[in-house]
Amino acid sequence: MDIQVAKVGVVSCSGEEIPEGTLCRLACRRVLDERPGETVTICLPLFIAGGEEERTFASNYPTITVDGCDKLCAAKATEMLSGKPSKSLSIPEILQKHGLPPPVKLRHFGPEEEAAVKAVAAEIARAVDEVLEEE
Amino acid sequence: MGEKRKKVVVLPCSGMGKVFGALARETTYELLERVRPHQVVTTCLPLLVIKDPDAVALVTENPVITIDGCPKDCAKKSVEALGVQVAKTYEAIKFYKEHKDLKPEGLAEVNATGRKLAAVAAEEVARMVDELAAGEEK
Amino acid sequence: MGEFLEAAFEKFIFKVKVGYLYSREEFWADIQGSVATVGLTDFLQKSRGDVAFLETVEPGLEVKRGDEIGKIETIKATFGIMAPVSGKVVEVNPEMDASPYLINHDPYGGGWIYRIELSNPEADKGQLLQASQYFELMKNKIAQEAKKLYG
Repeated sequence: MDIQVAKVGVVSCSGEEIPEGTLCRLACRRVLDERPGETVTICLPLFIAGGEEERTFASNYPTITVDGCDKLCAAKATEMLSGKPSKSLSIPEILQKHGLPPPVKLRHFGPEEEAAVKAVAAEIARAVDEVLEEE
Repeated sequence: MGEKRKKVVVLPCSGMGKVFGALARETTYELLERVRPHQVVTTCLPLLVIKDPDAVALVTENPVITIDGCPKDCAKKSVEALGVQVAKTYEAIKFYKEHKDLKPEGLAEVNATGRKLAAVAAEEVARMVDELAAGEEK
Repeated sequence: MGEFLEAAFEKFIFKVKVGYLYSREEFWADIQGSVATVGLTDFLQKSRGDVAFLETVEPGLEVKRGDEIGKIETIKATFGIMAPVSGKVVEVNPEMDASPYLINHDPYGGGWIYRIELSNPEADKGQLLQASQYFELMKNKIAQEAKKLYG
């Protein structure tokens, strides 16, 4: 028995090794906090390690993946484990589109990184709207 | 001229939904950037799962410490799935249990108290890093 | 009927073990003869988060249904362990000291907390909910949470 609410799963790159990974996580978190009724976070490490709930959700609901680099771990893992994501976003592409430099810090982002976090969050939110419209 | 020292790989789980995932990550960054910057390296967990050759080589050729944010032990399992034995595992909640006065908050990143706890945790993990690095040199 | 009744909400799957009895305070009892094994429901452990600290009472203590027989502290909350049955505590799960996370990892199995020798099994059984009854209660709680979150 499910308690049905229209939802999109957001799978964020877990990117520990690169600043774009931190940017990705912060932007995803912002969208999740601003749109709690429409989005759910899928924990990528847990998804990969066999998390029943993450995989079940991703099989039953549309997903958006957000990757920090061109290795595309979130997109590849999601496709491998539960089906092609509805949308796959790339941080380097988003930054280029908005004319923003990539962040250089791994952690403790401040005002210098805010423009990038905002831009990525806006793109994720736009993708969420598009996916929900299609549903 | 001394032999090049082996690195020690520290892998946090970095789970998005829980504060202890964020604590695991912050602890790793403390080690990487402040406590043992010349000795500790990290990589992204999903790279291990998609079998990125560089990431796999890193954990195969160097001792690995994992720091997991919850009992699901994703970091540990991701390494073991490659047939690699983890040298030491931590659960981030352990650091909070030992320092109850430093209650961390935050999901994407820990708050100021969480950073203090991460600094304490990093000092403890650093002792294991030293042990593993010394063991590799024998 | 399978081993569990399940309700999904967002990405969470809440489980209710078939064959156990349940209190409205979110504790289960597996009654075998005159002894009950007790623990937290999946709904409660998921709602409250990962267990960091656990305080338990000593074996030998006489308890009444509804008594507080310990405390759990998670990163989100501190709350009491409420006895779902009456009797004498005969065993505390020896794994709890080193591994309280079992309450989260395996709430209906390895995460059991106490074994209690029952003083009045029939009275307890009369007050506790069958799995199917508790399942309906749990679904209502989930629906209320959903309403609070999303209107």
